[in-house]
Amino acid sequence: MAVLALVGTRKGLFLLRAGDERSSWEVEGPLLDGWGVYHAIVDERDGSMYAAANHLVYGPTVQRSPDGGRTWRRSTQIALPEESGLTVNATWRVQPGRPENPGVLYLAGDPAFLSRSDDGGETWEANRGLLEHPTRNRWPASRGGLILHSVQLDPSDPQRMYVGISGGGTFRTDDGGATWAPKNKDVEFDLVPDPYPEVGQCVHKLLLHPARPERLWQQNHCGVYRSDDCGDTWERLDGNGLPGPFGFTIMLDPADPDVAVVIPEKAYEYHYTVNGLGVYRTQDSGRTWKRMVHGLPKQAWAAVLREASAFDSESLYFGTQSGSFFALSAGDRWVEGVRHLPPILSVEVTAWSA
Amino acid sequence: MVRVVVPSMLAAQAEGRQRFDVEAETVGDALRALPVADLVLNERGELRQHVNVYVDGTDVRETGALACPLTGAHEVRIVAMLSGG
Repeated sequence: MAVLALVGTRKGLFLLRAGDERSSWEVEGPLLDGWGVYHAIVDERDGSMYAAANHLVYGPTVQRSPDGGRTWRRSTQIALPEESGLTVNATWRVQPGRPENPGVLYLAGDPAFLSRSDDGGETWEANRGLLEHPTRNRWPASRGGLILHSVQLDPSDPQRMYVGISGGGTFRTDDGGATWAPKNKDVEFDLVPDPYPEVGQCVHKLLLHPARPERLWQQNHCGVYRSDDCGDTWERLDGNGLPGPFGFTIMLDPADPDVAVVIPEKAYEYHYTVNGLGVYRTQDSGRTWKRMVHGLPKQAWAAVLREASAFDSESLYFGTQSGSFFALSAGDRWVEGVRHLPPILSVEVTAWSA
Repeated sequence: MVRVVVPSMLAAQAEGRQRFDVEAETVGDALRALPVADLVLNERGELRQHVNVYVDGTDVRETGALACPLTGAHEVRIVAMLSGG
């Protein structure tokens, strides 16, 4: 299956295309030239492309392309309710809704908001349950912002979804977004005096396994965790062979819920990989981790951001802040498909046919 | 009628148009008439912090900002103030 990778960078969006082997990549771009593309995705329901595009001067936007990136149109309304006293600092992720809800999308961003569109991304309305959450005053903002970034829809329950907030923690709704319960039990937050608070944890990336939706994985500021009960309890896994607790991204295998892949970085004021570019995989639910570095540079001080990795049924993909894009090819060998891009902020993949 | 000139990235967000002739009594009216008004003004309708606007060469922050009258003005120029290396 040929693949199209949407690679968001600090200076625009690049479309990378490869055939079955994923060894040779063609580059198109930059689209949305000059925009910091925090995330871009193809909505598999209708083929539209969405981008969370931000600019230092012109501010946050959501952009939609109906024609594969040739033309783009901004959402006309992304503002937060005036009475909240909040304004959108940045858009971080556009998450298409469920197959049975065409036209529904979710927008995640800073300051820790989740908005919903019912009109294909033209207008957005903020979720009040999160905006007015009773614990919100205990979500600590950081220099990088107060970011709601992960949005996970439970395919087995139309009323259930999860969000991950840095820093705020994991929250779950079982009533379609009306109310949200903190799901941070046993998740450490070692920057504060009480290291196991109800909320405030710094989730870096939260993923639900599509084939086993009660299983969640998270790369946290303070460790890698797995939950097998919809977030009610968490087991810490980074002590089982990872070089450290810190990292941003995590990848899964859609066919095997016991597989997860992380890229640890030097904690926590430093944010780069040590001992080269080290990718670690578990195939036993996190009991053990093994390095998978065939094809990766041994001399590297790389940073891979939370949105800068992706996976599909055939491969894994990630991009670095130094502008290199890697894909896993046959024999667990990484191929540097493209280099010298602007700093990579996000990677998504979708099937593509020439 | 006053002519509004926008920089390249804003033009790219307006189907390539860099110049707009608009009927406007104030700078605010002129900016709100643009198809890129949301990129020049923040969601509260204020001029974005690092967007500068010049009316015939004078920075409007010295002359009333969005309320600056455009009587007799010819050109409103928008500049993005970016620094870095």
